[in-house]
Amino acid sequence: MNDTPISKVLVLEDNATCANLVKHFCEENNLVAVKVGKRPLMSVLRTNIDLGGIFVSERYGGSERDAARIAAEIHAARPELPIFLRREAGATLADLPEELKHVFCCAYTANDLGALRKAIREHIFCLVYPNALVRGISELTDSVLKRQFPDLTIAMDAPYIVGDRMIFGELFSLIQLESDWCRGYMMLQSEEDPLLDFIARTRASRTTPSFRGVNDLLGETTNLIWGAFKNRYIGDRRANALRQPVQVPLLVNHKHKYVSFGTDNPQLCFRFTLTDTETGDSLTLYERFVFNLDWSPDEFHEIAQDPSGASDAGELELF
Amino acid sequence: MAQILVVDDSSTVRDEVATFLRGGGLDVVTAVDGRDGLAKLKADPSIKLVVADVNMPNMDGLTMVEKIRGELRNTSVNLIMLTTESSPNMKERGKAAGVKGWIVKPFKGPAVLETFKKLAS
Repeated sequence: MNDTPISKVLVLEDNATCANLVKHFCEENNLVAVKVGKRPLMSVLRTNIDLGGIFVSERYGGSERDAARIAAEIHAARPELPIFLRREAGATLADLPEELKHVFCCAYTANDLGALRKAIREHIFCLVYPNALVRGISELTDSVLKRQFPDLTIAMDAPYIVGDRMIFGELFSLIQLESDWCRGYMMLQSEEDPLLDFIARTRASRTTPSFRGVNDLLGETTNLIWGAFKNRYIGDRRANALRQPVQVPLLVNHKHKYVSFGTDNPQLCFRFTLTDTETGDSLTLYERFVFNLDWSPDEFHEIAQDPSGASDAGELELF
Repeated sequence: MAQILVVDDSSTVRDEVATFLRGGGLDVVTAVDGRDGLAKLKADPSIKLVVADVNMPNMDGLTMVEKIRGELRNTSVNLIMLTTESSPNMKERGKAAGVKGWIVKPFKGPAVLETFKKLAS
């Protein structure tokens, strides 16, 4: 598994040569290009709710006016996503109309991708996640999911960075992460029906599945992942007692399936697909780490496990 | 009259642990948090073993344990923590409060059944 997070970018490019250039740039810079193809653009946006940014060329759609209109629509619908503009004449936004300047985060040309590279680092990969952390989260989550969802095969996408604030599915759990090197939240998002089906298949003899059972399953899964994360990366280290721990409001808009943590920081995301190989049914879990209150990766380290009194998970350690 | 009290805010865990222990021939009651656990223990002096989570709303498991030994003055009931926590400091706090054992989740019933039977007898 690659420990370096990638990010998905929607590429809106009509010029075949430049499209190829962008494709190679993406491959070299940990980006995965998502193309529109023949589908309507807004339909593609609705089905891709975990993007890191948008690449658009200044004549996409046929003319500069078309490209400007499209970019403005995207920006209105998804203002958290940075939009990178490829221009023909020069890598500048200065000559754009005022109403368009705020739509784009940078301009670049095909002849000089330096500006684009810098902008990607600033707007998508602006938070550095230690490889050991990314790898560790994948491992401990996989271990918990195997336990919570026995008899399902678990596939994990490469970890990735998300700028979007859209909520996947109908339910999500939130739990705080507090230490002296990070403060924020872990979030699990999923859909209700596949979880209900899972409960019905595996616990049918004991409980009639309901949304409360789904809540409980997701809640306990969250608890186990959080516990494993704490044991491995936080231990007894707490947020710096000298600082007043600050808080910011979290905002959930159910109508627009939107959740805000009060920051523009991108989020570290892991996507798991759990499949019943007999029936082919699957469920998707998104796991997001949002370090909205503090992020100090230089202070990150793994907790050394104490070999003297250690017991494996599930074993009774008698005092 | 129950032998074991299982205290956890997760109904999944309560259900799993209680069902397994009942299958092993034990009488089990459950509670949803530390406050409920204290009330249930106070109401049923026959309980010999409490299996409790740490992280719970209203009253956490270690506070409950301290109150069992302190306010309830119950020094005979055996106390086992079943929790995601594994930090040495937390275990020390549990030990100081009279906790007899510690299990880091997930619960593996067969590994602990015989010990639980002894502690509940």
